Amino acid sequence: MKKSKVVSLTEAMQEVHDGDCIAMGAVVEDRRPVAAACELIRQGKKNLIILAECSLSEDILVGGGCVSAYRGTYTAIGAFGISPCTKRFAEEGKVVVDDIGHIDVCLGALATMAGAPFIASRTTLGTDVLNPAFDNVAKIRNMARNPETLPAKKYVLIEDPFYGMGTVQLHPAMKFDVFINHVQYAGEEGTVRIDGSLVFDHFAVHGAKKVIVTAEQVVPEEYLRRDPNRNQIPCTSVDMVVEVPWGGHPGQVYNFYDMDIPFMMDYVNKAKTDEGFKKWADEWIFDVKNHEGYLNKLGAARLEKLRALPPYGYRPRTKGGAK
Amino acid sequence: MMSEKFARAGDYTAAEAMIVYGARMLAPFDGKIGIIGIGAPLLATHLAKILYCPDMKMIVETGQADADPEEVPISIMDSRLTYGSSWQMGDPEGLFPLVRGEVDFGFIGGAQIDKYGNLNSTFIGTDYNKPHKRLAGTAGAVDIGGFAKATIITMAHQKRRILEKVDYLTTPGWMVKKWPEGTMVRREEVGLPGGPIAFISSMGIMRFDDETKIMYVDRYFSGVDPKTIKENTGFDIDISRAREADPIEREELRVLREVADPLNIYRTR
Repeated sequence: MKKSKVVSLTEAMQEVHDGDCIAMGAVVEDRRPVAAACELIRQGKKNLIILAECSLSEDILVGGGCVSAYRGTYTAIGAFGISPCTKRFAEEGKVVVDDIGHIDVCLGALATMAGAPFIASRTTLGTDVLNPAFDNVAKIRNMARNPETLPAKKYVLIEDPFYGMGTVQLHPAMKFDVFINHVQYAGEEGTVRIDGSLVFDHFAVHGAKKVIVTAEQVVPEEYLRRDPNRNQIPCTSVDMVVEVPWGGHPGQVYNFYDMDIPFMMDYVNKAKTDEGFKKWADEWIFDVKNHEGYLNKLGAARLEKLRALPPYGYRPRTKGGAK
Repeated sequence: MMSEKFARAGDYTAAEAMIVYGARMLAPFDGKIGIIGIGAPLLATHLAKILYCPDMKMIVETGQADADPEEVPISIMDSRLTYGSSWQMGDPEGLFPLVRGEVDFGFIGGAQIDKYGNLNSTFIGTDYNKPHKRLAGTAGAVDIGGFAKATIITMAHQKRRILEKVDYLTTPGWMVKKWPEGTMVRREEVGLPGGPIAFISSMGIMRFDDETKIMYVDRYFSGVDPKTIKENTGFDIDISRAREADPIEREELRVLREVADPLNIYRTR
């Protein structure tokens, strides 16, 4: 019998250490490891360095006081506005920020996946992403528990020696101490099947020292291996698997559930102030004690209204039983 | 009795006008490939695909090829973009076609725009480490504005948002910064293709002079005085070429309100 990688959410999040460089899978508010973020706050993590983006699940970590720096491409929650805690903390100088482009994140993860130290492109040429006055890489590197996880420089410009494309940028590989990924299905041995956008998860898992997968369903490994072409993350790249149903609430998880818009609105409104976030966190992180408590507080009736309808993979606004 | 073809100013909001004129701007791109940003561009594109460019191939930065949503999406990773698309991969597969030069146009919003069509969506203020206002960051905007063969920009018309110079250059317009010195040069000089072709605001349509690449008012919406556009612009914008835009049709408003966004998710009315 092969060894199972299934652990509890508490055990999995204990693998994240203060000062680690972490990234979370997917993007904006959808398929985000929200339950994992809440557990990290319960465990009182400090000085985490967030890579890639600072959207819903990362913003909750910022509000919970777990984050000292962020390096990535996005600090908003789509239609719900600028990530409220990240906005506050950045404006007060309490979180150090280093902006890079969206393709830069993809290329950084691709370089790491390829085992390459850097990759060249023309992205962000002409913009303030390359402004030395806005380069906080050295500062953030000094804050990391493992400074070698971060690059020694933000970028280097060189003349393209091969095809004469002019000045190009060398992007350092993007590495992570821990990558936390919420997905639809994982097998006990770590094979992952994602429905909907893969975002950059299929690259990023290969650039992390430790990969933790939280899954809507942990299914028999054998089930996923009947059709390996449909799997995007191999068992060889995953360290731990946790079953966390509704673990991406209040965002969408394709084929499982749609967005809980009132919950999102409540979060972004409350999280605009320190006191408001504290109230929200007391209610949805601490008083409920764990993810089961969170789901019980939400209640079956509320969750059932979010359940995706086949064949769409979401909850149509005006079709099916929608009222 | 035949109903009137055109709506009158006052029959619609400024936000609805911005969406309708944004949708019209996509008509020449039927059969072409476009990459669409979050917010107003998603709704305008949804309307355009119903009315003007049903065969426009929509790419989204979370990796859907030819996304064809039945309901208007509100998120850039909306499940509505996935179902029915030709191909669903991830952000690299969604964005790399831009850099390969395959994307005919990009359609994006922003927080600040300058007279050369450079956008800022990163921060407002002078101190990066203690910004007056932290914004959304680069997201796809930097890549879309850098590499689409043409960029269309849409945002509300406010004096504090339309400026001589942006606080942070997130998305390259016509005059960009050449590093390491940061000198302002034409975008071609750093090897960037494309450039902004139009800025649709809640008051009118701005374009960029062929020679100087400076923004001017090309069209003002019905009921809007071009002088009001000038007063609500943060630099001395040229209104000498401004003409009234073709009025909004009742049918456009009907489709926007009853088909594209029946639940008013985008709160345009």
